[in-house]
Amino acid sequence: MKPRVAPAIFLGIPTVFLVGLFVLPLLSMLVLSVWRTENYHIIRDFSFHNYEVLATEGAYMTFLLRSLVMASAVSLICTLLAWPIAYGITLYGGRYKLLFSLAFAVPFLTGEVLRIIALQGLLGPLGLLNGVLLSLGAAPLRVIMYTNVASAIGLVYLYLPIVVTVIYLSLLNFDQRLIDAATIFGASPARAFFEVTWPLNLFGTLIGFALCFIPCLSATLAPRFLGGPNGTLYGMAMAQQFGESGTWALGAAMGVVLFAVSVLLVVGVARLIDLRRTGFTGFGRG
Amino acid sequence: MAYIHLDGVSKQYGSVWAVDRVNMAIEKHEFVSLLGPSGSGKTTLLRIIAGLERPTTGRVLIDGEDVTELPPHKRGVAMVFQEFLLFPHRTVYENLAFPLRMLKLPKSEIEARVEWVVGILALRGLEKRYPNQLSGGQQQRVALGRGLVGRPKVLLLDEPLANLDRELRQEMEVEIRKHQTDLGIPFIYVTHNQEEALSMSDRIAVVRGGRIEDFASRTDIYDRPKTAFIAQFVGRSNRFIGTAATAGDTISLSGEGVRIETATRPGIADGERVAAYVKNEKVRLRPASAGGAGAANTLAATVRYVILRGAYAEYVLGWSGGELVASRPRSEAEFTEGAEVVAFWDAADVDLFPVPEDSR
Repeated sequence: MKPRVAPAIFLGIPTVFLVGLFVLPLLSMLVLSVWRTENYHIIRDFSFHNYEVLATEGAYMTFLLRSLVMASAVSLICTLLAWPIAYGITLYGGRYKLLFSLAFAVPFLTGEVLRIIALQGLLGPLGLLNGVLLSLGAAPLRVIMYTNVASAIGLVYLYLPIVVTVIYLSLLNFDQRLIDAATIFGASPARAFFEVTWPLNLFGTLIGFALCFIPCLSATLAPRFLGGPNGTLYGMAMAQQFGESGTWALGAAMGVVLFAVSVLLVVGVARLIDLRRTGFTGFGRG
Repeated sequence: MAYIHLDGVSKQYGSVWAVDRVNMAIEKHEFVSLLGPSGSGKTTLLRIIAGLERPTTGRVLIDGEDVTELPPHKRGVAMVFQEFLLFPHRTVYENLAFPLRMLKLPKSEIEARVEWVVGILALRGLEKRYPNQLSGGQQQRVALGRGLVGRPKVLLLDEPLANLDRELRQEMEVEIRKHQTDLGIPFIYVTHNQEEALSMSDRIAVVRGGRIEDFASRTDIYDRPKTAFIAQFVGRSNRFIGTAATAGDTISLSGEGVRIETATRPGIADGERVAAYVKNEKVRLRPASAGGAGAANTLAATVRYVILRGAYAEYVLGWSGGELVASRPRSEAEFTEGAEVVAFWDAADVDLFPVPEDSR
């Protein structure tokens, strides 16, 4: 028997990578979350105190719920915007398809902080938008001045390119001729979309949704710069535990909660979706 | 009034006419093939009938109705695609039920019709499988079933057998023709494979450069090609080029060391450069010892290779003008490689066409 080296290398390296850079840090967070911090010192006392704090102090629940609502809304808006954009590129992009999809990556050439601060300059009380309104003698739009709406706009702006790219790649893999087949067999264009295009791109859409939803859950920059006094999100509160307040153990517990919520959501969605119904063929034959 | 009419149908892409002034009338019980090389416009023509392409000019009529402006889903046609294009997220049953669901038939009717098509296409037991769990032949059957199940006004087939291996293809040819006869609806079958066209069709339209070169019965297309292109494209032929000389009611072509004689035909002038085609199976052989090599429509040759094709043998012959192929049934006297022979053919089996100025 010839030793099969290639699979060991190709599957082994990512495994080592995952264990080293993801599983181990996560385990350390888990351990830290059942200890406590006092005066910037870690004290190794086993207790579920941090989780009790998270469950009983109303503010953390509010942050978590607000984050869930925010992440859902932002992901939904991103998905709804990304579909026509991505579909438009595949249908009408012609030979500029690649250019269009790359154009969406251009904002990534600057840092996230820079992009959010630029947006602050646009949406804030003295920002471009309200400045123009004020100079025209109109009332400023209060709804975009340091509110959750402003946070949402910021998050949509941050994650839309990712969702567009993922859905675009899904559509690129989708055989458009299946639409021909559906219309030939009596489906109107709208019907063909819901019978063929939508289900066969559902998997890609969900990945796009998740890649927006999960970072939104732990978003820190957008709520901090755009969200205002009532805009604290879970991720932002968590970051504060590791920064200003120095309560790392509580922060670690928040991280574990966030991870658990994300896993639960992913598992929940995965149970709802029959992959075969999305044309997923990665199971091999048989 | 024919069942399907194409009336001056043309399709322009940029400056190219992919389909150029096509007129066709197809009867209700006919099996028609559109035969042509790739890029000849045959698939575009089929897609125009389906409604997937809009003709630049001209009209399409199906069952007396002008459908030129109708989108595909309102035409009542069905199609079998070369790549099958089964819905990968649907089971075999659901794929077959799709056209019926679009027709909004009651559930019991859908079940009965799918059951019928599963029966005639030998798909029983596969209903719950997904397309990627099927072999190529099974996928092909499902694609055909999906085409038949809605009892369309016409079934369009776009090279449906091109992705199957030879044995399976021949099996499916028989099956497809049988279903067409049983259902009594026209099948329009696009192919670049002359064997498929010849094996199934009532009539064949030879397509070239977006035009219909000839639209005639399969025997006419094969036995009496109307153009040099058809003579070359359909069947396997030997070609001779020379200068025409008429004498009475015979015309002879000389050049390359052989004299070809056949009955005169209109359109060929004295002294014109002409091409003569003799089908491989029309070339007969006798041993050189039997003599008579100098006469018209005969030439002396040597057997270079013998290619065995089962029921018949193909002799590749070398002669002073090049190579010549003769297909003979195995029941005839066989020649071995290196044998000296005389190849000969009937004057009636020669097809003669002027050589266009721009070709060799």
